[in-house]
Amino acid sequence: MTEQARPSFIGARVKRLEDPRLLRGHGRYVADVRLPGALEVAFVRSEMPHADITAVDAGAAREHPGVVRVLTGSDELVAGREIRGDWRGEIWQTSAQPALAGDRVRFVGQPIAAVVATSRYVAEDAASLVVADYRELQPLTSARASLSDGAPLLHEGWTRNFFRHSHFLGGDPDAAFAAADGVLELRTATQRQTGMPLETRGCVADYDVVSGSLTVWMTNQMPSVVRTSLADVLGVEENRVRVVAPDIGGGFGVKAYLYPEDVVVCLLAMELGRPVRWIEDRREHLLAAIHARQQEHRVQVAYRADGKVLAIRAEVLVDSGAFSVHPWTAGLEAGNALSLLPGPYTIGDYECDAYAVATNKSPFGPVRGVARPAAALSTERAMDQVARATGLDPIEVRRRNLIDARDCPYTTVTGNLIDSASFQEALDRLCEVADYPQLRRQQAEAREAGRLLGIGVACYAEQGASGIHEYLRRGMPTIFGYETALVRMDPSGKVLVEVTTHSHGQGHETTIAQVVATRLQVPLQDVRVVYGDTSRMPYGMGTFGSRSIVMAGGAASAAADKVRLKLEQFAAHLLEISADDLETVDGAVRAKGAPFRSIPISELARAAYHQPHRLPQGMQPLLEAVSTYDTERGTGTWTNACHLALVELDPGLGLLDVQKYVVVHDCGVIVNPTIVEGQLHGGIAHGIGGALLEELVYDEWGQPLSTTFMDYLLPSATEVPRIEAHHIETPSPFSATGSKGMGEGGAIAPGPVLAAALEDALRPLGEVVVTELPLTPERVLRYVDEARGAAADASGDR
Amino acid sequence: MSERVFRFRLNGTEVEGRAEPRRLLSDYLRDDLGLTGTHVGCEHGICGACTIHLNGRAVRSCLLFACQVDGAEVRTVEGLADARDPLSPLQEAFWEHHGLQCGFCTPGMLMTAAELLETNPDPTEGEIREAISGNLCRCTGYVFIVDAIRAAADKLGARGAERQ
Ligand code: FES
Ligand code: FES
Repeated sequence: MTEQARPSFIGARVKRLEDPRLLRGHGRYVADVRLPGALEVAFVRSEMPHADITAVDAGAAREHPGVVRVLTGSDELVAGREIRGDWRGEIWQTSAQPALAGDRVRFVGQPIAAVVATSRYVAEDAASLVVADYRELQPLTSARASLSDGAPLLHEGWTRNFFRHSHFLGGDPDAAFAAADGVLELRTATQRQTGMPLETRGCVADYDVVSGSLTVWMTNQMPSVVRTSLADVLGVEENRVRVVAPDIGGGFGVKAYLYPEDVVVCLLAMELGRPVRWIEDRREHLLAAIHARQQEHRVQVAYRADGKVLAIRAEVLVDSGAFSVHPWTAGLEAGNALSLLPGPYTIGDYECDAYAVATNKSPFGPVRGVARPAAALSTERAMDQVARATGLDPIEVRRRNLIDARDCPYTTVTGNLIDSASFQEALDRLCEVADYPQLRRQQAEAREAGRLLGIGVACYAEQGASGIHEYLRRGMPTIFGYETALVRMDPSGKVLVEVTTHSHGQGHETTIAQVVATRLQVPLQDVRVVYGDTSRMPYGMGTFGSRSIVMAGGAASAAADKVRLKLEQFAAHLLEISADDLETVDGAVRAKGAPFRSIPISELARAAYHQPHRLPQGMQPLLEAVSTYDTERGTGTWTNACHLALVELDPGLGLLDVQKYVVVHDCGVIVNPTIVEGQLHGGIAHGIGGALLEELVYDEWGQPLSTTFMDYLLPSATEVPRIEAHHIETPSPFSATGSKGMGEGGAIAPGPVLAAALEDALRPLGEVVVTELPLTPERVLRYVDEARGAAADASGDR
Repeated sequence: MSERVFRFRLNGTEVEGRAEPRRLLSDYLRDDLGLTGTHVGCEHGICGACTIHLNGRAVRSCLLFACQVDGAEVRTVEGLADARDPLSPLQEAFWEHHGLQCGFCTPGMLMTAAELLETNPDPTEGEIREAISGNLCRCTGYVFIVDAIRAAADKLGARGAERQ
């Protein structure tokens, strides 16, 4: 008899199980949570970037009809409620962000008072009546200004204005620079941007005065961790705190924190004994949700005439805002930049100083890609400049520097252990699928016709799921290196899975079900995946980085294996054969080689619950298992990719039209290619926004100028081209499913790709080096002028 | 503030509404009527998450006052398909083509796409992109949304052809 194939859902383009409710408008987001008698909060926010508060007059607000409570920073209720995020080890200076500022404000938008009223309209009316007096202090509006001599110190007890300084030295850069054929220097800069999910933040708190239990609906990507943080700050026993993160309208890192507003809303609910609700508006989001990405790099590169990059020296300044955030700290972006700047290349000699500098701007935290867009801008721009200096094609320079996949697991100069990869293969594939030679011909023809076409390429290694060892190495206060899953088969053989990651667009209800259905050999529609309620789920870390399919997928497959094993042992007892001679295939446990001796899973499940007398001695009823999971060595998994874009420049308007965007991507085993492609498209669109449009501008006095969607431009369907995605699947030897994780990656490369494409497009006008993002029309026109100036100088010289 | 009384049709049903003159239509639909499918992403008319149909045209409910719908025909995402009925062909196409991730922009996107297909049953990719350019999506990169709308056009076209 022929072997019956074991059905597998891995790699299947399954339609998402979460979609019908979302398509019908029946999703349940935090703003949809309506509790009877709920009060609404409006925050009063600092208008000053740096000032002492001398007085807050809340009298008129208190008297306003419909107002229930006005809370200011000097109120007992918020005294001592502070948020801290402290890096461990190295050079670190701490900050404490008060739930409401009482005596000093450090950024525009920092909450100083909260008004509670019967409706949001009334709360906002009354909030506008609160008047604060300030004594202004000198605002620090750039990393350089903060580090300059004589700058006022931003926090008590500090010696200079940085949270963190890290120094790294690997190999022998001095010797490498001395031996180099050439040295070049670059100064790159990326501006403030953020994740900007379409749903703003929100928090609804409900306190039961009698039992002392607190339920909080939050837009949060990491419900378990934030529950602990809330319990700590509020002084409530953690077993009485329930955090519910229901449907969430996108996160991108912005919703992975404990924010001051969350603390205030909970304190108010506890004091008033009534549900209290705060739904952030977009202006507040732009002002006070975490910002990211603002970095300045000074990079020196030593290279050989054959295009090999020998060594890099770098200085990284991260404009990290006013406070260190919880739980990620203000140090993560600087640390990641330092660790990842050598890129996917065999650069053995490297020295870097990275500073997380404090400024009077909104606090700073990890957002999709976390420092990698800035790091890749430096690395990839360096590769392009080496290409120019050596006369080689940019593709060829990368080919000569990429890590050889055969050397994996490969330890980079900064100690990153890359589990497996396909760097060279991906680059070759990219050239093939994009037809690189043809694109160059097309460009040449366009140039003949006076049109400015440019091609840009970038490669990267994306840290997917980071494990325990990796977070330890980074010096994080909380070691986020695992996830947990509970798999419960009920008496009818249907399966409920609780995972501790949170899905807010990533499709876990589908992909985790694909993993579990495959492990348990049950139909996909029999598996239901839920998450986001700490009263039901086990403890775990949440969704951030690019970890969920590896970590939650690993935990779910481990828990499913335990349940399957129990089914097999039970069946062995009933069939009177050894469990080793059984296998589970397509809904039944059966004897290997004698499939007619089999018991359907549904029958076993019913018996396990309702006929416990049939269980073997010592076996407990119930078919459920919990498992945590970390990657094999705790170092994590690495995804790799190459991106290419073809752009046309309008030198009059400073506009870049992205005509073609191709990515070749390797995230290991793909559970659902459609979902992976969706994530790639979204990440690339995010990266294109970051490369061309998005900028949180502050003026020289520390006033934020980007306070609406008219100032902070998100890419729309007319700016994002049709993205072509191609896959390579190199399974990870370190992950249970062979997957590597890929949620962030798309956002990493568009910056360097489009910078290179602009530089390339400008070539007929003159030679410039494009190093600053985003490429807004204003910046592009500056580069156009510079190129023309360079050409004029060059011809003047002749 | 004194309330205004107004009458309108909402997803096919007569409604007598009551709201303060300044109450936004988006808040009224969501909070007073419990139709939370209409989402609010910016409240200043840019993101399109709050898009509904007013007398058959896609409009932003965050830019209208509730009492302005007096005498009008209003349709929200909940009106595309009854909760017990199958999804509409447009919703079905979004499902098949992975036209949504977090789902927050989706109701507005669907309402904009529905208007497009009613006025232009056979749109080109460029026309689709132009039509949805006032609806921001942070998750999808739009590629699959465009595919979904095109597929819905094909589906609806085939249906129309059958009927003839
Ligand atoms: S909420 Fe109405 S357009 Fe954004
Ligand atoms: S699906 Fe999340 S904003 Fe569009």
